[in-house]
Amino acid sequence: MIYLKANANLVLREEFDDWAVLFDPDTGHTYALNPVAVIVWKHLTGTNSEEDIIRIVAKEVESLPPEAKEQISSFLTALQTLNLVENVEREKP
Amino acid sequence: MTAAVMRSPRYIDIEITSRCNLRCTYCSHFTSAADVEEDIPFFEWRQFFEELGRAGIMRVVFSGGEPFARHDFLDLLIDLKRHPIRFAILSNGTLIDNKIAQFLQKSGRLDYIQISLDGADAETHDSFRGKGSFDKAVKGIQALQEVGLTPVVRVTIHRKNYLQLKSIARFILEELRLPSFSTNSASHMGLCRRHASITQLTPPEYAAAMEIMLEISDLFPGQVNATAGPLADGYTWRAMEEARWGRITPPAGGGYLSGCRGPFETLAVRADGMLIPCQQLSHLPLGRINRDPLLTIWRNHPTLSLLRNRQHIPLATFSFCRDCPYLSSCTGNCPATAYTHFGEINHPSPEGCLFLFLKKGGHLPERWNRLHG
Repeated sequence: MIYLKANANLVLREEFDDWAVLFDPDTGHTYALNPVAVIVWKHLTGTNSEEDIIRIVAKEVESLPPEAKEQISSFLTALQTLNLVENVEREKP
Repeated sequence: MTAAVMRSPRYIDIEITSRCNLRCTYCSHFTSAADVEEDIPFFEWRQFFEELGRAGIMRVVFSGGEPFARHDFLDLLIDLKRHPIRFAILSNGTLIDNKIAQFLQKSGRLDYIQISLDGADAETHDSFRGKGSFDKAVKGIQALQEVGLTPVVRVTIHRKNYLQLKSIARFILEELRLPSFSTNSASHMGLCRRHASITQLTPPEYAAAMEIMLEISDLFPGQVNATAGPLADGYTWRAMEEARWGRITPPAGGGYLSGCRGPFETLAVRADGMLIPCQQLSHLPLGRINRDPLLTIWRNHPTLSLLRNRQHIPLATFSFCRDCPYLSSCTGNCPATAYTHFGEINHPSPEGCLFLFLKKGGHLPERWNRLHG
């Protein structure tokens, strides 16, 4: 089973209205996260798979649009491409 | 409507020492409230850096005094790296040698280092910064370049260098081969208050400096960062003139004391450890580091609320602004220079005031003349 884990070197700076800035102190790169992306980021603990995260977001966000699943999936792919998230492979508990 | 305040400041300006090896005639630090006797010791900064790391501060900007005049400054930078924070340095460049340059290059966390350079030759630069400072500053810049760093050069425009701005630009961009430079101008703070008549440009001189800076921008497109000083004011004033004649919409916040965004994004610390809203508002202590929690001050301090609420004070209530045709597009400018001129932060500043500039013999560049009427 593949679980997703956030790069521990990054800092999530929650600013206002549930928006946040993801900050990489080693490169200086910053990424703006909308409130849904913030929920996703907070659950990249290495114990949740992509499906788990989509389920969590659906539970936490009221009236999630149908395209959200695809958007969350693209967001996770983008995070992986940027090496902001790594895959952790292990047995399902 | 009140603008939202972030949960923590993005940046912190730290005056890491009050000492400096130079005494520039227009220095904003000396004789200000930030000109303190004692610098706090290493362990106090170390403790404060931990708090900054927990608060999610993204960058610390070190200044002084002269940061490299502090003997343990590099050790402090090493300590800062234990936390997820980047840094920048504002320096006169004169104490930077190869060893320091290599250290900075290897730090991996340097956002930028700004070096002050006010002339293309020693005579001009040293006139207000002191004998020998030009050669040392240039050596400092070159030491940084040799290790692959690109310093940001800042030219302070004053009465003895404004007519030489073109040769200064050529020196920085062609001889030193730096990609760009920025400017500001001697402002009525610190030592400059004592030496205003010899350092600060008169309105006609400011107008001339604006013309010259525009010509430099034509000669070196994209290589002049107009963040402050005559060219920056020129661009702002051009927009105010266009708004006056209805060609563009006045900016958000126009007509109110909304000119300063600092209290919404940053805090500063004096060399004695006192938290202040900004280095230029060093007479307003908010608390002390390691005694008063940073985030409590950021969110609740009445002085910060006062500064953030300036934006609701209409300019029309000030006799200073009477008869001004630019009111709807003016933001009242910097509260710190309002304070140094009038002893009041809730007041428009005469520095950056287009109406006053024109009344006292200034004019906008010839090429913008079509804007009138």
